[in-house]
This record gives sequence, C-alpha cells and structure tokens, in this order.
Amino acid sequence: MKDSGEIFVGLMVAALGFAGLVLASGALDDEMYLFGFSLAGFALFFDLMLLKHHYDRVDAARAEVRPMARGAARHD
Amino acid sequence: MTDASITYMAPHQLSTRLAPVYNEAIVRKFTIATMFWGIVAFLVGCTIAAELCWPGLSMGISYLNFGRLRPVHTSAAIFAFGGNALFATSLYVVQRTCRARLFGGAALAEFLFWGYNFFIVMAALSYVMGFSRSQEYSEPPWHVTIFLVIVWVCYAVVFVGTLLRREEPHIYVANWFYLAFILTVAILVLVNNAAVPVSLYSSHAYVAYGGVQNALIQWWYGHNAVGFFLTAAFLGMMYYFIPKQANRPVYSYRLSIVHFWSLIFMYIWAGPHHLHYTSLPDWTQTLGMAFSIMLWMPSWGGMINGLMTLSGAWDKLRTDPALRFSVTAVGFYGMSTFEGPVMSVRDVNALAHYTDWVIGHVHSGALGWVAFISFGAIYYLVPVLWNRTGLYSKKLVAWHYWIATLGIVFYMTSMWVAGIMQGLMWRAYDKFGFLQYSFVESVNAVHPYYIIRLMGGLMFLVGALIMVFNLVMTVRSRTTEEFARTSQDYPDAVMAGE
Amino acid sequence: MQFRHEWIEKNAFLLLVLTVVTVAIGGIVEVVPLFTIETTVEHVKGVRPYSPLELAGRNIYVREGCYLCHSQQIRALKDEVERYGHYSLAAESMYDHPFQWGSKRIGPDLSRVGGKYSNDWHYAHLTNPTALVPETLMPRYGFLAQAPLDYQVIERHLAANKVIGVPYTAEDIAHAREDLETQANPQADTAALLARYPKAVEASGNGRVVSEMDALVAYLQVLGTMVDFADTTTEQLQQ
Repeated sequence: MKDSGEIFVGLMVAALGFAGLVLASGALDDEMYLFGFSLAGFALFFDLMLLKHHYDRVDAARAEVRPMARGAARHD
Repeated sequence: MTDASITYMAPHQLSTRLAPVYNEAIVRKFTIATMFWGIVAFLVGCTIAAELCWPGLSMGISYLNFGRLRPVHTSAAIFAFGGNALFATSLYVVQRTCRARLFGGAALAEFLFWGYNFFIVMAALSYVMGFSRSQEYSEPPWHVTIFLVIVWVCYAVVFVGTLLRREEPHIYVANWFYLAFILTVAILVLVNNAAVPVSLYSSHAYVAYGGVQNALIQWWYGHNAVGFFLTAAFLGMMYYFIPKQANRPVYSYRLSIVHFWSLIFMYIWAGPHHLHYTSLPDWTQTLGMAFSIMLWMPSWGGMINGLMTLSGAWDKLRTDPALRFSVTAVGFYGMSTFEGPVMSVRDVNALAHYTDWVIGHVHSGALGWVAFISFGAIYYLVPVLWNRTGLYSKKLVAWHYWIATLGIVFYMTSMWVAGIMQGLMWRAYDKFGFLQYSFVESVNAVHPYYIIRLMGGLMFLVGALIMVFNLVMTVRSRTTEEFARTSQDYPDAVMAGE
Repeated sequence: MQFRHEWIEKNAFLLLVLTVVTVAIGGIVEVVPLFTIETTVEHVKGVRPYSPLELAGRNIYVREGCYLCHSQQIRALKDEVERYGHYSLAAESMYDHPFQWGSKRIGPDLSRVGGKYSNDWHYAHLTNPTALVPETLMPRYGFLAQAPLDYQVIERHLAANKVIGVPYTAEDIAHAREDLETQANPQADTAALLARYPKAVEASGNGRVVSEMDALVAYLQVLGTMVDFADTTTEQLQQ
C-alpha cells in the first residue's frame, strides 16, 4: 500500500506524543514536565503536517488529471 | 570475472545514466539546519570563550554559567551542526550512489529531520536547566536519549533499506563509512547510557557503571564519538564530495578497503588514552596507547586517498574555492590525526592532559576537519539542491576561506602555547625543591592566550556568517532554467550540478 | 576460492554484520575484564556510600557542570601528588555514579579538597569567588544559597543507587530524609548520622531550610577524606 509508511510514522509519533503527556502528568521536576509537553506538542504538529502533506498531494493529483492545470506537481 | 577496479564506480561515472526521482526536499531541510546550528554552535563557543576571559560575563545567572553552556556548545557543534551535515550528506549520497529513492517514504524522512532537531532542542534545554548527565558528549538525560534512539533506529532503517533497494551492484565506499558510523554510534549510545532512573517521572538517573568502569566506558564512548561520528562519517563525506568536486575518481580503491577496515577496527581500542596515569589499570592504558599510535596509519591512508584524488586536477583549487575547503579539511585531518597519536603517548600525555593543548587539538579537528569538509560539501550541494547554476559569489567563498583558516590558526597556536605553558607550570620546581607556581598563577598566565583564542573563534564565526549570506543569495538567485532563458554571462556559474 | 572484497561490497547485510563484528572486538576486550578482574578496584578501608546530603550535593555538582573545570583524579605523578595529595585510588570513586574524574583543569583538582578549607570559606567562595581569589575564572554560585534543596524523593535516589550496586541498607534508605536534615543543621544531634556515615561533615545551614549550597558544601567536605592513608599499606594499593 502506498501510504503505509505515512500511516506507520503517524501512529508512531502519536504514540510518542501520548507517552509525552503521561510523562508530563506525573513529572517530578521541571525538565520532565517541559519534555513531556514538548513531545506532545511535537507529535501534534508533526501529525498535522503529515495530514496536510497528504491532502496537498491529493489536490495535486486531482489538478494533474485536468489537462490544463499547471504546476503543483513537485512533491517529495 | 571483471576486475574490481573496473566495476568500481566513481560517483561522477554514476550520473551518466537516467536517475530516479530522489528525495531532495529532506536534504535541503538538513542543509538549512546544518547552517543554523553551525552559527549557534560557534556563537555559544565564542560566548563561553569570552566567559573564560572575563568570568563576570555570566553575571551570576545560573543559565549563563560556563558549566551549563559548555555542553550546549559541544552538543551544538558535534550533534547539531555535525549531525545535520551528516544526515544531509548521507541521505543525499546514499540515494545518488545507489540510484534509489529513500526507503520508508517521505514521512519517515520527515520524521528523521523533525525528530532529530527536536532532540537537539530538548537536549540543549536540559543542559541549560541543569539536567545534564555530566558524561562528556553524552549529556542528555535518559528520556531524551531514548527519544534519540528511536530517531536513530529510523535513520538506520532508512539508510540500510535504501542500500538494499539499490540499482547499483556495488555499495559505494562513502556508504561503508556512513553505515559504520550509524551502527557504531547506536552501539556506543546504548552501552554508555545504561542508567537507573530515580523514577519514571524523574529526569534524574544514576549511571549504571561506577568509578573506574564508568570512566573507561565513557571514554570508550567519547573517543569513538570522535572516531565514528566526527571521523568515519565525515570520511564518507570526503569520499563522495571530493571526487565530485574535482571530477576525478577516488585515488585508490585498494587503499580505501584497507583504510576502512583498519580504521574501524583500531579506533574502538583507543579510548583509554584519555585516562593515562589515573586509577584505570595499567594494562588498559597501555593497550589504548598502542592502538592510538597504530591508528596514525589508517588515518593517513584516508588522508592520502583524499588528497591524491586531486592528482591531475590540482589546478581546480585555483578556480574553485569550495574545493579548497574540502582539501584543506583533509590537510587538517592529517595534521590532527598525527597530533593525536603523539598526545596519546603516556609521557606526552602527562604534560598535555588537563591542559588547553587538548582543547586546541580538538578544535583543529572540529574546525579544520569537520567544519571545513562540511562547508566544502554544502557549497557544492546548495546550487545542486536548489537547482542554481552556481554560487552567488565565489569571491565571498574565498573570503570565508581565508578568514576561517586564519581563525583556526589563531585558535590552535594560542591553545598550544597556553596548554604547554600550563603543563610546564604545574610541574615546575624551584631551586629548593618546592612546586614553583600556585595553581592560580597558571590561570593568570594563560589569560592573553584565551583572548587570542576568542579572536580566532570570532573570525570563524564571521566566516560562517559570510557563508550563510552567500548561500541565502544563491537560493534567491535565478534557477538554472531562468538563467538559461535570460542571460549568457553570469560570472560565477561554474559548478553546475550533475 | 580466493577472497574478493567485492562479495562484501555487493551484500549490504554482510557489510553490516562484518562492520559490527569489527567494531565490537576492541570494546569487548577492554571493557569486559574491568568487571571481571578483581584487582581493578583495590580493597581499602573507609570508602562508604555518600550520605543523603552529600549525594544531593553531588547532584548539584553534576548539574552545574563543575567537572568541566575541576578534575577529581590525581594522577600518579610527582608534582600532582605534591600539589593535591595522595594519587586517586579506584576504590575512592567506586560509588560514583557517574564518575567525576573530569578532563580539563581550568580550576584545580578537587578530589582531596575535603577538609582543606572551612565551611565558611566554601560558602563565601561559592557566593563570590573573586572576593577570595581575585584572579579566578570561576563564576558566582550565590544562587545556590537562595535555592531550597529539593529532597522530596531522596529515598528513591538512595534506592536507585542500591539497584546499581551501592551498598545502602534498608535502614539507610528509611532514615534518608532524617539524615539529610540532620547533616544540614549544625544544631542537630549527629550520633546516628555518623554511625551510618563516618566522617560526614555537617554543613553550616540555618536549621530551617536546607539550601542547595548546604548540600554542595557537605559533598565538597567529604571529597578525598574517606580513606585513611596512614592506615593503608602499599601492598593493599597494588592493582
């Protein structure tokens, strides 16, 4: 499947983000608190970025179907 | 059977065939991060160098103290600047030389970039906040290290996966070095970071090893962070970019085989030379010293292979200042891999250890070799990655080159003088047989050299800022197609990509 | 059949495995014997685990990166022994997780600084080093005196050390908090503390709040004092 890599990475990062929330919830010091929340934030933004890239590609593919559409083909 | 030297493909030969679509977006990101962290590393370095000249600068603020900023400097230089440069070049080189797109797709590559840089930010914050593990070059607390290990495993998967789907029958020599670097760093980090956390929710963990065992494992780690992160991996960079820039094949295939296996075999043993005359057993010290001296040979094998690749193309040094960086880097590599074995001899080490001579030695490697070879590669890469005909200004590259080189010379010479002076003052006896100097007199004596060192560092920083400006202007210039459409004479358009 | 390097170059897994084997050899030969050869660490009397306050102080020492300027390892060289005292024994750092031998002397070695200066000197010096040593490069650590020491989970710190082989007893762990407060308070009765941790030096705290500086000074004052060298023969020190 073409998107399996994306789904796998997305789930892995989501799991990390959840672990970050767990760490922050019980944190005994500032460092763990900061790290936990940062990790959760990182996971959130990363997964949102993956989603955006996915739909950008869907849009681009749709644009390519129409013969007159220009640009937007480059994605990697 | 075909002769090995014929089937052995130099990178400039590979490009003649039709190439698949490579993931260059990720290489661009890592390249930008390299320059960003480079500036941070040099800036923090200059800050702590200034603090050693005028300690009042930290103003009694805990976050600005030397002890908290020093790991920020070393980690920023090694792992942020060096690490991003290695990610950028290794992911570029492995795709080109295997003629295969990165394994794992764009998402995994994105995770490598954002994950690794998230690790760096978290590590730096933990040092400033006072949660360093106090193991040199391995300071991040346990939970940050676990995150790094996850990123690193993904890196190994991407790299090895790409090797496995290669279209070329041979694995190019640069990839051997990158592979050895990825695997060995994984082993080093896992062993050296074994620790027992106070609690799952506490950043504090106690290192699993104590005292003398901890010391040996830490320096086994520490020296191989130099050996594999800062040497083997950057040799991989050398083996791709110098032949590319000079447009010649690697000088000797046989030499690269011998040099690869002997280098990775011997480096691992050299760690104990950091612990001469300490409570580490003598046999370990002697073994470490013996292998450190032997290591001179494979190191110079690599240097010769890099330098001789230019035979027949030396004139390019005049016209291509970016190549000058790469070649000077190999020169500095040869110099510091000669200085290293000398310093590992017990009697020399008795004088040099604990002094600024070591700091000078490290920086001749870090600035002269690691940074210069990266600069050379990035000057080559940016026009290729952004599809530009050439760099914005070759004159600025030359300015960068001379300012940075002079900066290194200031740095190294001042640290030699300071270090040897400290060593001699600590062991000096007066005519009555008493120690001649109190410790603080040696502190006082090196003050002028610390200021010269700071100047050297500032020059290096200025050079890097010139480079950033030059690269930004390059990216903002016209693309190759626009250039071909609009103009015929563009003075610096020489290094056209593939 | 003759060996050809080409085989390795054409097989990524072979390259991977051979690389791992090649780099593993050196590490195994050097590291493993350190855990198995019994004479690596000498048997000397007096070395004991750190008291809870010393351990907390040690964590401050680690946190502030003191090891980046101060070594804790006197090499077996004439001038070092004359300047700093008896060369460091492996036994003296056997309970150090992590070790703090250091690699650079921007300041002097500290492995035997314990007892060389008074508590008052240390408090004054940490607060404003230049007042006592005008040429010093040491930054000011006055903020440590203002910061209350966080010892909420000190028992767990001792327990974690026990897991990795530091011989804290169940009793040590049970009394950790009490011992810590006792050592920080000059008015407190130290008999029980000294029974568990001989030679522990009381910090000059104010008796109300334990500061980070109290802990750090208690740690500095014990450095290098545990072994009684008058009572130790050369044979015992032979590795």
